Parts: sequence; C-alpha cells; structure tokens
Amino acid sequence: MHRNKTPRNRLDKSMAEMLTSEKLAIRIVICLAVLVVVMALCTLTGKIHLPEGSRKISLEKVFAGPGQKPGENIDYEIFVGVRLPRVILAALVGAALACSGVILQAILRNPLADPYILGISSGAGLGVITAVISGITWSFWAGSPMAVFAFAGALGTVWLVWFIGRFTGKSQVTSLLLAGVVINAFFSAVIMFLTSIAKSDQLRLTIFWLMGNITEKSLSVLAVSAACILAGIFALFCISHRLNVLTLGQEEAKGLGVDTTRTRAAAFGFAAFITAVAVSLSGLVGFVGLIIPHGVRLIFGPDHRQLLPLSGIIGGIFLVIADTLARTVFGQEQLPVGVITAIAGGPFFLFLLAKYSRKVSWLK
Amino acid sequence: MSSIIKVENLSFAYRTQEPILKDVSFEVTSGTFLAIAGPNGAGKTTLLNLLCGLLSAKTGSIKIDTATIEAYSVRELAQKIAVVRQEFVPVFDFTVAQVVSMARTPYLGTFGFESQADRKFINEALEMTDTARFNSRTLAELSGGERQRVFIARALAQNTPILLLDEPTAFLDLKHQVGIYDLLKTMQKEKGKTIVAVTHDINMGAQYADACLLLGPDSSYQYGYAADVFSAEQIERVFGVRGFTGRIDREKFFIPLGKFAKDGGQISRKPDSGV
Repeated sequence: MHRNKTPRNRLDKSMAEMLTSEKLAIRIVICLAVLVVVMALCTLTGKIHLPEGSRKISLEKVFAGPGQKPGENIDYEIFVGVRLPRVILAALVGAALACSGVILQAILRNPLADPYILGISSGAGLGVITAVISGITWSFWAGSPMAVFAFAGALGTVWLVWFIGRFTGKSQVTSLLLAGVVINAFFSAVIMFLTSIAKSDQLRLTIFWLMGNITEKSLSVLAVSAACILAGIFALFCISHRLNVLTLGQEEAKGLGVDTTRTRAAAFGFAAFITAVAVSLSGLVGFVGLIIPHGVRLIFGPDHRQLLPLSGIIGGIFLVIADTLARTVFGQEQLPVGVITAIAGGPFFLFLLAKYSRKVSWLK
Repeated sequence: MSSIIKVENLSFAYRTQEPILKDVSFEVTSGTFLAIAGPNGAGKTTLLNLLCGLLSAKTGSIKIDTATIEAYSVRELAQKIAVVRQEFVPVFDFTVAQVVSMARTPYLGTFGFESQADRKFINEALEMTDTARFNSRTLAELSGGERQRVFIARALAQNTPILLLDEPTAFLDLKHQVGIYDLLKTMQKEKGKTIVAVTHDINMGAQYADACLLLGPDSSYQYGYAADVFSAEQIERVFGVRGFTGRIDREKFFIPLGKFAKDGGQISRKPDSGV
C-alpha cells in the first residue's frame, strides 16, 4: 500500500481533525458575540412613530434611564419595553426551531425533516383555531389562550404520533413519519373546516398566527419561555454525541453502546417540548428549522455536539434579522415574520434539493 | 486458555415460525478466529445478532466472559463486543475520523468529548487499518473496500476483546477480500482478539479460521476445527451443491460445479490432487 512520507504528520492531522471541547467553546463564544451584536443593531433599527413625526431611537436618551414618571423618556420605554423583548423573543424562537430541526433530522435520519414534520404544526394550529373560534378569554400563567391552546395542541399531537408510531411497525423511523403525515393531513382538514365557519376578524388573527408572527410579550412570559427553551437545548446537547451514532441506524447504535429507544424518546421529547414553546410564542414560523441546520452542517460538518449549539445560535441570529425586516420594510405596516423566512427559505430549499439530487460538487 | 463465549442449548425462532436455531451449543476460547458458515436462511446472521445482544434467545444461554449476556447493559456490552456489518454510506457526511471516533461512545462522559486516552485508541486504529491517510474524507468518497476498513478501524478503536463480523467481504473484489482477512488475522495475532466472522466464502474461512461452525438448513450444525468441518462431504450435504475439492500443500479449497459446468461430468472428487 502507498504510504505518506511521515507518519508523524498524518497523526497530527488526524488529531487536528477532531472536535475538542475547547475548540467548540471558542466557536460558541464567537457565534454568541455575533448574536449579541446583531441583537443590539436590530434593537436600534427602525423608526419610532410619534405624533410629531417619525425618528430613530436615540441611544443617548436610552442610557439616560427611565426618568421620573412614565412617558417622560419615550426612547427608553420603547427600547426596553418593546424592542428588546421582541428581539430576545425572536432569538429564542429561532434557537428553539433550529435545534429542534437538528434533532428531528437526526432521529428520522432524513436531512429534509423539520420541526413540524411530525404533526406539531397542525396540532398547534388546531389548538389556536379552537381557542379563537370558541372565544375563550381566560389566560393561564401569563399565557394568552392562543398560546396555551397552541402548546397543548402541539404536545398532544406529538404524543399521539409517537404512540401510533410505536405500535405500527418494526422500523420506528418509517412508522413515525407515516403517523406524522396521516395526523397532519387529518388535522389540516379539521383546520380547513373550522376556518370555513369562522368569522372574518377571527380568520385574520388565525392566518397571522399560521404564518408565524412575532409580537411583543410580557417579561414574565419571556423569562419562563427562555428558561424552558435553554434547559431543553442543554438537555439535547448532553445526548448529542449519542445522536451522532443514532444517525448510523439502530443496529449500529446499539453495537456502539447506545440505548436507542431511550435516546430517541428523550431527543424526541425535548425537541417537541422546545418546539411547542416556540410555536406557542410565535405561531408557525417556517423554514428556520430546515435551512439553519442544513447551512450549519454544510459549513461545520455533521457532528451533533457542534451542530446543535451552533445551529441554535445561528438560528437566533437569522430570526432576529428576519423579524427586524418584517418590522421595518413596510414602514408602519408589519409583516408576519414567517413571510420573510419563507421568502428566504423557499429558494434555499430548492437549492438543497438540487444538491441532494444531483450532488453538485462545487457546493463543497 | 479460557472460553470467552459460551453458548448452551441455544434456540431461537422468529415469532411463530419454525425455530431457526435449535439446541446450539459451542464454546469459543479467547483469541480464536471462528468462522460461521452455512446456506442462506440457516441462521448465521440470527446467531450473530444473538451474540451481540440485538436479539434475545427463547431458550438456552449465552455467556460472555463470566456473566450471561442479559446481565450486561447496552453500554457494558459495547465495551466487550464490537460489531462490523456490511459497509454502508451514512446519511450525513461524516468523515473517516468522525466515524472511527464514534467507537469511543461507550466510554464517554456526560458531554461526550474524547479524552487523550480515547484519542490514542482512535489514532492507533486509523494507523493499523491504513485508513489514517484519508481520515478527513467523507465515507461517500471512499470505495467499498476502503469503507469496510473504516468500519473495522472503528471496531478496533472500540478496544473490545471480541469482534463480530457479518460477511465482512461481501461485494468486495479478490484483493480487498484478502486484505480484510489479513487485517483480521493480524488483529487476532497481535492484539489477541477473539474474532467471530459470518462468511459465505468457505475457502477464506478454511484458510484463516481456527474453528468453524457450519449451520445446516434443517437446524443441524457442525462445530470443530476449521480443517475438519470444511470437508467436501459436509459442504456438499449442507449446501446441496456438487463440487471439486482440491488441496495445495496445507490449504484445502472447494469449487462448486453447476449443472452446465463444461467438464462437470468427468471430474470426480480427488481430495489430494494438486492443481
């Protein structure tokens, strides 16, 4: 066999190839720094509309503090009370969806899976339209009825899909996907039926939700969701090295000492949970969970220990920018953020399809 | 030498079908190369899956070292037994180094990062299988033979006393078949590993294995020294084919002859003739 010149060089190279915790920590810190800068810039972007005319937020006034009585420093109040929570919310939702996309692509062993593939979207949608049509007004622990119903609908559907998937076949991946497709189709039909009997003002609310829409939320909601999403992502990070093995298939994973049933259930459970939280906050923001994991995988490779945290941060960056565009491109009119992500995501999805079907070499 | 695998009265059936393995008993001493051969459907892969804990026996027992296989957790068993199946291309573009690193999964802590010791095993395995020179390539960019060597490197990095292989040379050309068997034999000799390989290639089995388990179509089986088990009569009976048996010095070989073989009618068995 042909051998290279010095075995020493080869050894160094293979050592350099491997991911170490230090290397990952550095990359995470760099990405986090970018996220913070983007969040700061996006908070300052866009005009505030006052009776005396539109102008930009003045950073000087923001640093001056809240002032003696409410209404005295409008710049500060808009910055801290409106812009900042919204940007944080966008970052959280983006992170949750991107991480969930990474996990579902891994456990379904399918690079075209996204967080909604197993029925979360239709379940949450059904929950929301039920809440809107029935006109329920009570709220639960700082959550609006729409958010609570969306969360319950999402988790309920995921549980149903998992339950059906487990009892319908030996190949869990295929039966999960089939169960997801069937439930999605059925619930979509029910959503269609309910929208056709809904009143027009209810309809507008529902449609905005289905497209994905980020709005200002109270600080308590933000704190609870941040805790849930970050805890979920951390739990997923702890099993991410097992996910690497799981993508090789069940038999291979067992041979490498991974309890496949438990790992898959844990991954699926945590991913469904953070997706449900994200969906209850912002509706169905599409494409983030599909394109971000893909983009990060193309650049950094498929090692889930790195793919998961970096996708989370970059997903956050992406959605913060998308939401700022949604808020500013049409002046005072706001677009649902899902429209922006879909416009950016659609072409990217086609590009991925082309790559996977034709194996275009220049993409490497 | 102590026995590292001990199978006693093992029986197995898929659901309500006829048992595929019936009352199989054998012992493998540590450091042996065992070949498992037999026709399709005789239960070779089933036996391999029983030995690595993927299936559990209906009756009878399998002992690994001193404990029964059920006593091990998935993680503990992966520290005893490494499995190599037929090579494949993973869904995601993992590099050779990444795939081999996965061997250390049963030894990793909470966050799943390799220690210096882990890295030593990985690099040794890459060097020994001569896969280090393409360690940054993805598996899709390798030939079938190279890919199979990567999976063997992974099994090696797993640092287990036992290695199970399911038809490791299926679909490989002659050169790569010999290459894989040479590598396995080296690992047996240098590292003292116990190797159990399911194979269709009885000639390779006879050449490399110390012991052989020949599974018959009717749940019968033969177990013993490879040289004894791979006799022409056995092979003709178990596989149901007529063949030509020859011998070059100490290596025996068997060539099957079909109905339309050009000189099939004239060749009678000549066990000790040269070619």
